[in-house]
Amino acid sequence: MSVMHGKAPGDEARPGKSGHLLDHEYDGIREYDNPTPGWWHVIFLGSCVFSVFYMFWYHASPLSSSPEKDWDREQLSEYRRIFGGIGELGADAGTIQKMRGDARLMAVARGLFESNCAACHARDGGGINGFNLTDDLYKNIKGLEDLYAVMTTGANNGAMPSWSAKLSQNERVLVAAYVANLRGTSPASPRAADPAERPIDPWPAVVTSPE
Amino acid sequence: MKHGSDGGSSAGSWGGHGPGPSGGVEARGRLESFVYDDDIVRKFLVATIVWGMVAFLAGLLIAFQLALPRLNFGVEYLGFGRLRPLHTNAAIFAFAGNAIFTAVYYSTQRLCKARMFSDTLSRLHFWGWQLIIVGAALTLPLGITSGKEYAELEWPIDLMIAVVWLGFFGTNFLMTLLRRRERHMYVALWFYIASIVTVTVLHVFNSLALPVGLFKSYSVYAGVQDAFMQWWYGHNAVAFFLTTPFLGLMYYFLPKAAGRPVFSYRLSIVHFWSLVFLYIWAGPHHLHYTALPGWASSLGMVFSVMLWMPSWGGGINGLLTLRGAWHKLRDDPVLKFFVAGVTFYMMSTFEGPMLSVKSVNALSHYTDWTIAHVHAGALGWNGLMTFGMIYWLLPRLFQADLYSRKLAEWHFWIGTMGILLYVIPIYAGGITQGLMWRAFDESGSLQFPDFVETVMALMPFYWLRIIGGTLFIAGMALLIYNALMTWRNRPPRYEEPVHQAPALSAAYDDGPEPASSLEANTEFARKFEARVLQGWFHRVWERKPLRFTVMTTLAVLLASALEIIPTFLIRSNVPTIASVKPYTPLELAGRDIYIAEGCYNCHSQMIRPLWHETRRYGEYSKPGEFVYDHPFQWGSRRIGPDLAREGGARSHDWHVRHFEDPRQMVGQSIMPSYAHLLAQDLDFDGIGGRVRAMAMLGVPYGEAVRDGRAAAMAREQAGVIAAELESQGGYPGMAGKKVIALVAYMQRLGKDISESVTPQAPAATGE
Repeated sequence: MSVMHGKAPGDEARPGKSGHLLDHEYDGIREYDNPTPGWWHVIFLGSCVFSVFYMFWYHASPLSSSPEKDWDREQLSEYRRIFGGIGELGADAGTIQKMRGDARLMAVARGLFESNCAACHARDGGGINGFNLTDDLYKNIKGLEDLYAVMTTGANNGAMPSWSAKLSQNERVLVAAYVANLRGTSPASPRAADPAERPIDPWPAVVTSPE
Repeated sequence: MKHGSDGGSSAGSWGGHGPGPSGGVEARGRLESFVYDDDIVRKFLVATIVWGMVAFLAGLLIAFQLALPRLNFGVEYLGFGRLRPLHTNAAIFAFAGNAIFTAVYYSTQRLCKARMFSDTLSRLHFWGWQLIIVGAALTLPLGITSGKEYAELEWPIDLMIAVVWLGFFGTNFLMTLLRRRERHMYVALWFYIASIVTVTVLHVFNSLALPVGLFKSYSVYAGVQDAFMQWWYGHNAVAFFLTTPFLGLMYYFLPKAAGRPVFSYRLSIVHFWSLVFLYIWAGPHHLHYTALPGWASSLGMVFSVMLWMPSWGGGINGLLTLRGAWHKLRDDPVLKFFVAGVTFYMMSTFEGPMLSVKSVNALSHYTDWTIAHVHAGALGWNGLMTFGMIYWLLPRLFQADLYSRKLAEWHFWIGTMGILLYVIPIYAGGITQGLMWRAFDESGSLQFPDFVETVMALMPFYWLRIIGGTLFIAGMALLIYNALMTWRNRPPRYEEPVHQAPALSAAYDDGPEPASSLEANTEFARKFEARVLQGWFHRVWERKPLRFTVMTTLAVLLASALEIIPTFLIRSNVPTIASVKPYTPLELAGRDIYIAEGCYNCHSQMIRPLWHETRRYGEYSKPGEFVYDHPFQWGSRRIGPDLAREGGARSHDWHVRHFEDPRQMVGQSIMPSYAHLLAQDLDFDGIGGRVRAMAMLGVPYGEAVRDGRAAAMAREQAGVIAAELESQGGYPGMAGKKVIALVAYMQRLGKDISESVTPQAPAATGE
């Protein structure tokens, strides 16, 4: 084995910094015989060891979880936190009326309303493509329980879709209560009333319940 | 990894074995004369510059569209969803593609001491590729697309790509290797080989599709498998189109410009093979938390993590080659471009593994973080390396001094500032949006339930990006001016120097096998140490282009097969959901409109099992929901909200008015108007052929196909939806319009899964 211990121009200024020059040459390009840096090996080997460990830990050990399992756990804890002391809510006017005064659950309902209903009814309930929910005029609603019913079955040939597959019964009861509370508020840009809408009696006064 | 311990000089050197200028014992061949074909290099260089400007301007336009939606002009051909693929395809295949060809045609001839194998193939390659680009530029704005990111071009153009890439370019290149007059192949050539082989494999297998007429086809894969194939392709397009050819470019042009030897030959070997073998596996990191099976996602992550060092091998070899030449950086703009380019490469290839870690990806996925990442890579690495190469080539190709070194300096500083001003705000924007999506208030509700709020938060960043992009383009304008002025000073006739080199003779002796430094050991271990660990085998491979090509192909195919075969064969990957049915003919037609308009560029259809995500969009997506989705439409970016559970969430009327002008429904929406869908008639009679094609791909369309009733069924359903629409207070007379088909599709999205569930699930199960 013979190696040409050549030096490239400029090396003289940096003695000891470069290794041997290999004797091949391509269109004037030459290559050093420098070893791969040690830290390169350490990190590369480390990443390989990590990878093997990770695959076993994640897929074969009882210590790991999965996104789906984590999600189930989170769902359970959220359900307990929100509905823990309540259980299954009835869809009757009395329950809805009671929920209207529960500040904690109305905060939950606000989130549901803003995520699911605001696209058509606007965040403040003033209505965009869906009806204005803040005025005294309604089309399919006479009592509080109708708010739940419309959400559940839909109305106006699907102009109001059914939410029974997307929101649970408890969630719909809470949103019904929240929508009832929107009545009488002042939205930024209320939608004009539909000719089919008629005024209805005011809701019973809200009694704020202790949490 | 196994070579580190041998300490460099002690255990023998890599490459130099035996006497003679190229290592082995060379029997001198006959002296031959040849002339390099620089005309073809000039052609590709000009194409690089022209298409680069086009790609950058298209990018600037769509960046403006995000900040000012009225710049979609209400013209269907200029909507964001159609222009974004034009931008990405132009940047990747037109700009970077021509840059690769410039580099390959210039350097291969010199590294092989041979003219390209065939001038005719060279020209066919050049003109064929430009024709493909023109074809892309015409079809994409027309909405002719296969709907798979970075592989949008329809099947006739796909065929042309295969022919031009492998038939013209690949053949020409490999034949040149076989006819070379330099015994061993330099590392740049290894990277070119890997690029040519792998891009062919990726392109062919990902683009397999069943045509429905000249301008439409359906991917043969569906759902989970299609997603897997797409990102196997998508990620390796980054690897073998934007990384390996540019590493080849770097290995040739950087040491040439610096006038310095390459830092480490053995690092080249180690990082080349580890890069080629590991890169192929990493694709599934684009699909973390999706319906892709967990094992594939984990493989995607760990192989990306392992890729960090192989990628950095190239960066180290680039930067350390400049040892002893750093002072040249002060007044050489070419080296400035290269150093900054390699630095961006190292940042991107650190960031890539980081983004592929699942928990980081949970935040970054679907946000602008990814956009910032790719632009750091594309503008920083591909862009700056290309500019450096162009400035180095201009005086050599046009045989005149570079018109202005000062302007090149200005280009460097303006361009680099432009990149930073692009990526830093977009990183900030991406992280901002990701954090906003997952923010909860104290009641447990989403803090930003209104998606458009999270879009509005990005506006300042979008404007900063426009400034950054404009600067980058201004730099490009300087390059064009500089190139034009240099070209004007060209000689009346280009000089074509005649080179001489001996032909390679058939007889070649590699020299004696090195002695093993192991003493007391088995014969096998001694041989292994001598041949493999001392790198002797590789030196032999380097003079055998066919063997080298075969080994590279095997590395790529083996790694691919290990991941692809289980994806297709393991049944539990995609548990069947009984209630999931094929789209009706009308919904299928609507889906095709969704694809043609490029909706997937802004809307995902994949809800991840993350709590904030299911609170916002509904139940997380299951693999079985996508079995009839040819192609899948999971998307990769949420410029708008996810649509996986869009079905039944809004009225028909809402959708129609929203398509007509999104701002009627969502005041701050940045979505383009799709008013043309309300005006244009749906081609009902064409639906039959589409349904038949789907049936051929295994989608169970019984009655509709058997009785040829697809069109009639579509008309029936359109009538029902149009009647409902009108009764909701919507526009009358829409039954025959395209918008009805799209609404039908929207209303179907994500609904099947709840059909099997009993009418009311327990509270808050999200069912």
